[in-house]
Amino acid sequence: MKALCWEGINDVRVQDVPDPRLVNDQDMILKVRLSTVCGSDLHLLTGHIPFMQAGDVIGHEFMGEVVEVGPGVTRHRPGDRVVVCSFIVCGRCWYCRNELYSLCDNTNTNPAITQHLWGSDPGGIFGYSHAMGGFRGSHAEYVRVPFADHTAIPIPDAVDDMSALFASDSVPTGWMGADLGGVQRGDVVAVWGCGAVGQMAARAAQLLGAERVLVIDRFDYRLRQAESAFGVETINYAETSVGDALLEATGGRGPDVCIEAVGCEAHSTGPQHVYDQVKSKLKLEMDRPIAVREAIYHCRKGGSVFVLGVFTGLVDKFPLGALMNKGLTVRGAQQHGQRYIPMLLDRIASGELVTNHLATHVMPLSEGARGYELFKKKEDDCVRSVFRL
Amino acid sequence: MNTAGKALLVAGVATAAAVVRRRRRAPAGRRSGQWLVVTVNRAPEDVQSSLPEDLARWRDQVELRIRPATGDKGTELGVKPVGDVARHDLRLALRRAKAVLEAGEVVQPDTAPTHPGPMGRALQLVTNRAGGGGRL
Ligand SMILES: NC(=O)c1ccc[n+]([C@@H]2O[C@H](COP(=O)([O-])OP(=O)(O)OC[C@H]3O[C@@H](n4cnc5c(N)ncnc54)[C@H](O)[C@@H]3O)[C@@H](O)[C@H]2O)c1
Ligand SMILES: [Zn+2]
Ligand SMILES: [Zn+2]
Repeated sequence: MKALCWEGINDVRVQDVPDPRLVNDQDMILKVRLSTVCGSDLHLLTGHIPFMQAGDVIGHEFMGEVVEVGPGVTRHRPGDRVVVCSFIVCGRCWYCRNELYSLCDNTNTNPAITQHLWGSDPGGIFGYSHAMGGFRGSHAEYVRVPFADHTAIPIPDAVDDMSALFASDSVPTGWMGADLGGVQRGDVVAVWGCGAVGQMAARAAQLLGAERVLVIDRFDYRLRQAESAFGVETINYAETSVGDALLEATGGRGPDVCIEAVGCEAHSTGPQHVYDQVKSKLKLEMDRPIAVREAIYHCRKGGSVFVLGVFTGLVDKFPLGALMNKGLTVRGAQQHGQRYIPMLLDRIASGELVTNHLATHVMPLSEGARGYELFKKKEDDCVRSVFRL
Repeated sequence: MNTAGKALLVAGVATAAAVVRRRRRAPAGRRSGQWLVVTVNRAPEDVQSSLPEDLARWRDQVELRIRPATGDKGTELGVKPVGDVARHDLRLALRRAKAVLEAGEVVQPDTAPTHPGPMGRALQLVTNRAGGGGRL
């Protein structure tokens, strides 16, 4: 079958790879219909996550049709339309039972790597490096879905393929930021990053009762899209002082909840960008936590900051003083998708949650390399490239 | 590769080295006073009555301890080598036993790429052993 493979830093190519087959009893094989790029893939492309092998199939946000199930699968049948969460979960360990699905104990097949890096191993992800288990990704005609009963979720008839696609990763990620960030009725919420994840966090904050939601980015086309899709307010940080704008919007208090949806390769116009570049040249820093620093600095006293952006290792200039003295709650997580996806599909079906506008560039898998190029360089007003199989 | 990428590569190699080092040191004997323990999200009597073969086959070479975990978190399943057993093998056995008890099976990775490249081959040396390494 054809699949889009990581072949080296900034090099992805469509290759012929063997078809997947059922390996475990609880596996199923999915015929992928739609699979999208995600900001997390950019960290693989740039070599930020160095646990890749040439020929690894990438992609982890997808939906499709079940074609084969193992004897241990009871909830899905061939012909079913499902969305597959990017995290593979067993559904029965303590973490899964407590709805902390991305922390599943039983799905990372290479636990030693992240146990050494981070102290413990999170769950496995499709196509996201051998540090997160050795699973092939979804930019392929077929994919094997382990623990299928728990990893995949049926799509209601009222939800079309494209809308369901984003319920795999970006929608639950954004929702988790607002939910676990503790958004309350009447809150002012600021979101850094206006990609699919930031937009979904902003919409989730609105649906959870926030009174004002402000989204921060430097790409006007993305900010305009969020304004027209959800009626959020926007701040272009290349033109406006984020701090001044947030103080003005909150009567001098600062946002109640700050959600970071940017990640380890954040961009900055200020001198701190130079600082971070020098530090990384000297190998004293792995990630650039610019948006995290800002979120902590601008958050109101006693407020909450949620880190959705992916980080891999050590960061520098972390504003611990602000965190401690302002009494902040700082939290982060990989998405606990299975906790939210059924509810989110219902909200999509009812029309209150719109997602399909994120698919700005739909193309066949054969154009995968171009899809990543557009997405990475934010060219041609690209928010997400989606591969149709 | 950008500099951040290189920095991470260094970190990756360091981690890989740590995984391999950990495997080499302390086979039997060294640190043998220390228990290797996993917490299983099942009741102690279930663990006792259906100890998976992955672990049961080591019974003659290990001391086995099964006790309730604090805070309703299931059962602490621990082993301490008494014979000539590599800790790597015991970690693997404990993790597999936990997976079988909790989820009914041990999930297998997908087949590795056919042309992993030199870095990928080095990584495969690590992943071939990563199931029995780590901080357990
Ligand atoms: N926690 C999870 O489970 C999870 C899931 C999916 C994605 N992610 C992460 O979320 C992040 C965003 O993903 P995405 O798909 O929306 O990516 P994306 O690349 O489409 O969007 C990121 C946006 O951040 C903006 N940005 C860069 N620097 C900024 C700054 N200093 N301040 C404000 N905005 C800035 C960029 O211009 C871009 O629009 C990534 O780090 C991704 O890895 C996390
Ligand atoms: Zn993702
Ligand atoms: Zn689990």
